[in-house]
Amino acid sequence: MSRFWKWTLGIFLGLMLIAFAGLSFMAGSPKDVYGMVRYALPHMHRGKLRVGEDAPDVRLLALDGSNHFHLRERTGSRPLVVIFGSYT
Amino acid sequence: MVKIYNDYKDRADFLTVYVREAHPTDEWQMKSNVKEDVCYAQPKTLEQRVAIANDFVQRQKYPLPFGIDDMNNAADLAYSAWPERLYVIDEHGRIAFAGGMGPFKYDPEEVRAWLVKRFGPVTQTSSAAAPPKP
Repeated sequence: MSRFWKWTLGIFLGLMLIAFAGLSFMAGSPKDVYGMVRYALPHMHRGKLRVGEDAPDVRLLALDGSNHFHLRERTGSRPLVVIFGSYT
Repeated sequence: MVKIYNDYKDRADFLTVYVREAHPTDEWQMKSNVKEDVCYAQPKTLEQRVAIANDFVQRQKYPLPFGIDDMNNAADLAYSAWPERLYVIDEHGRIAFAGGMGPFKYDPEEVRAWLVKRFGPVTQTSSAAAPPKP
């Protein structure tokens, strides 16, 4: 391997190490970086819905675990604030 | 969101939609969830989602109307909802406000600002419930 490629590889690996250390600091630990890359990034989407577009209708399950309803059933008379989230 | 709900529930409707877990024990678990004893594996069945959603509502005494996304994650995909996100849908069924992707751009105060602009400022002084996630 020529001296040029050794330096290029060294600089690249150094930058990767710095980036990993920075991400670990920001995320909390190296394990969190792995979790973010492995589990979070594939599910993160910036979102395509824009103000003024029709709100998609989706079927949801009630807390009783048996009754379903449609999100659009809750719209019509007043503005509907929709909060998406989970427990963890 | 509970405070905003208490302030504006007479003027707007609210709906919380439970989507796939953000930090389950078998994926990217957070230390804060261990500390708070909020430890659940990613649900593999709808029944498991229902159980966690009910745990959340009961433990947090969460008063808002609630719905659960199906195992196809239809609501999540349609609204780019994961891990958390806020919207306002107007009376005509159109998006009136689209919040950013959580957690960094999840900001309930943006929803309050929309409601204030629409209905004026409202503040109930007797909001007793502690603000839970989401």
